[in-house]
Amino acid sequence: MLRILVKKQLEEVFRGYFYNSKKNCMRPKWQIALYFVFYALIMVGLLGGMFTGLSFSLCGPFTVAGYGWLYFVMMGGIAAAIGIFASVFNCYSGLYLGKDNDLLFSLPIPLRTIIASRLINVYILGAMYSATVMIPTSVIYWITAGISAISVICHLLWYIMITVFVLMLSCIFGWIVAKLSQKIKNKGLISAAATLLFIGLYYYCYFKAGDLIQQVITHVDSYADKIKGAAYILYLFGRVGESDIIATLIMSAITAVVFTLVWRLMSRSFLKIATAEGKTAKIKYREKRYTQKTVFGALVSKELAKFTSSSGYMLNCGMGILLIPVGGIALLFKGKMLAEVIGNMFADKPGVLPIMICGALCTLAAMNDIATPSVSLEGKSLWIPQSLPVHAGKVLRAKACVQIILTGIPMLVACICALFVVDASVPVKILMVIVPLIQVVFSSLFDLILGLKMPLLNWTNELAPIKQSGAIVASMFGGWIFTMIMMVAYILVGYKLGAFTYLIICGVIYALAALIMLRWLDTKGAKEFEAL
Amino acid sequence: MLNIEHLTKRYGDKLAVDDLSLQIMPGEIYGFIGHNGAGKTTTLKSVVGILQFDQGKITIDGKSTMDSPLECKKNLAYIPDNPDLYDFMSGIRYLNFIADVFEIPVSERNERIRKYADIFELTDDLALPISAYSHGMKQKLAIISAWMHSPKLIIMDEPFVGLDPKAAHLLKEMMREHCDRGGAIFFSTHVLEVAEKLCDKVAIIKQGKLIKSGTMEEVKGDASLEDVFLELEEVPEC
Repeated sequence: MLRILVKKQLEEVFRGYFYNSKKNCMRPKWQIALYFVFYALIMVGLLGGMFTGLSFSLCGPFTVAGYGWLYFVMMGGIAAAIGIFASVFNCYSGLYLGKDNDLLFSLPIPLRTIIASRLINVYILGAMYSATVMIPTSVIYWITAGISAISVICHLLWYIMITVFVLMLSCIFGWIVAKLSQKIKNKGLISAAATLLFIGLYYYCYFKAGDLIQQVITHVDSYADKIKGAAYILYLFGRVGESDIIATLIMSAITAVVFTLVWRLMSRSFLKIATAEGKTAKIKYREKRYTQKTVFGALVSKELAKFTSSSGYMLNCGMGILLIPVGGIALLFKGKMLAEVIGNMFADKPGVLPIMICGALCTLAAMNDIATPSVSLEGKSLWIPQSLPVHAGKVLRAKACVQIILTGIPMLVACICALFVVDASVPVKILMVIVPLIQVVFSSLFDLILGLKMPLLNWTNELAPIKQSGAIVASMFGGWIFTMIMMVAYILVGYKLGAFTYLIICGVIYALAALIMLRWLDTKGAKEFEAL
Repeated sequence: MLNIEHLTKRYGDKLAVDDLSLQIMPGEIYGFIGHNGAGKTTTLKSVVGILQFDQGKITIDGKSTMDSPLECKKNLAYIPDNPDLYDFMSGIRYLNFIADVFEIPVSERNERIRKYADIFELTDDLALPISAYSHGMKQKLAIISAWMHSPKLIIMDEPFVGLDPKAAHLLKEMMREHCDRGGAIFFSTHVLEVAEKLCDKVAIIKQGKLIKSGTMEEVKGDASLEDVFLELEEVPEC
């Protein structure tokens, strides 16, 4: 039974890879393979590549100095952080808010099987991301210190310990959010606030981690002694990586005990939380003055209402709304220093700074992919826009418009902040504001097209299209790739043209691409939406 | 009002609707009956324009749904078999959204919302989120949103499912009034007694093919609609 439920959930997560919902048929094998290769490339190529570099720089010095365990503590910590970041935000809704709750609870399926299937789903997501750190960690260690059967077994257990730890933390966080949600009226708001608090803490630790790693490398002896003395459990954890059998047995036992406790906590409260209706304020309707909206205004307003009603949607697809202005303000404080570093790095390439800052802001903007899941989120209510007397192109424009507004306004703030940092001519400064704004329009349309091309309409949990669809991965990484190309091309050849001409070229390319995509959305895109 | 000519719709190799032709005149309540999977919903969705069909022609008030889809949609309202509305909106916000799309002036919409919400005793609950509504309340909201913009043609898929007896009775009265004012209604149902009492005309569909249609008297004669339906179901295929 567990296998059936897990298979059902995984099929839902990867449904877009196997099934073409527009043509109502299975995708051909080559297309499925292509999707998975693309996904693997992103996971292994980008994330894995990044952590391979870090493992390579840490493993040798630590192992030679006899502190291999510290290497595993540090890399294990990073793996856990990445895993938690990937799985924690969907834990609450993934565990408790499945649309198939009523159906599953009415079937003769043991409750523990349902809980286990939901946990496995959360586990797999966290484990996939943690693996991008742990696999390079192990491989680099084996290259440096040699490989043995015991080492492989210990590393496997080490992998399980970290991923189970990630699962436990995610579950506890999900449980806390669930308990809070039962007591308050606006679930979306409190869930978003709690998650934002977590993200704030996460990023604080993340930025501190860089300094900490540097500190540990510089004073490895002193830190190793301190960890052994004050946090012996971390030492044991690191020793698992060095194939210490006693440490492996102790840590495995601790993990099993803690997991059992979390499992009990979950089992006791699961049904109550999953079937709770929550509090709805008993508001008696009183007629209010209402200002009539235009058709387009009504569609945009509806999309905004959808976005602000779901904490999962806001947190997974709208982080840029917060990060872009934060980036702008950070530029005001640290911009001069950044300008100096970039100026020194590329002393022979004039005009690099405006391009780099534009690129950095566009990279933050790529974290907003509100338009991508907006088509899939129509779900079973897709009949509404399809049956209304509104051209499908207008419905799609409204979806893109929300991302343009919610990314464009913070982007404008950040661009204005950037102007205080960059010492450039007035025309370049004007372009530094215009080009990122055009890029916002471009990426909003690009994200929408991806969402339209890879729709996921038969979801049972809205996090499936928001977080787990291929379109989401493609839109986020696509946005980063575009800005990377913009920055790298300048460093390689663009500097010969100068920042002004280069920015004009970028702006024209983005604008032309945006116009072409808009035209496509109005014509072929509209037809595809109607045919969904 | 509604003219369906040789409608054909396939799902892969399966023929869901096979060369179906129907004509619904102003003032008529037209019932559409058939067993599960007979092609009723497919036909209704094709008329509304949310399902593309393979062959045939559908015109609403003389306009083709293929050539002038928006003009056609302006003249019709659709209530699906399962009212999946926007759960993230309150009832009143949803009604205002629909009213904005149909460009109904504020004073008119307020009057209509008040009128229909009062009829279905939903007024007090309009400020609640739709996610807190029961199935029946959602169905009532879908009915109000359909009637609110005074469409000429109303398409309904199993409209009585989930409604309490009082609401079902009120809906029947509203359907009659709508048709008496010159509108038309095309709806599917499994409740043959309702179809028998309410409909001016009825069509029976089996495996995508229209097997009988016409006025109630033409279809059933002296027998009951249930007898006719069951008898027709037994007709062996050619």
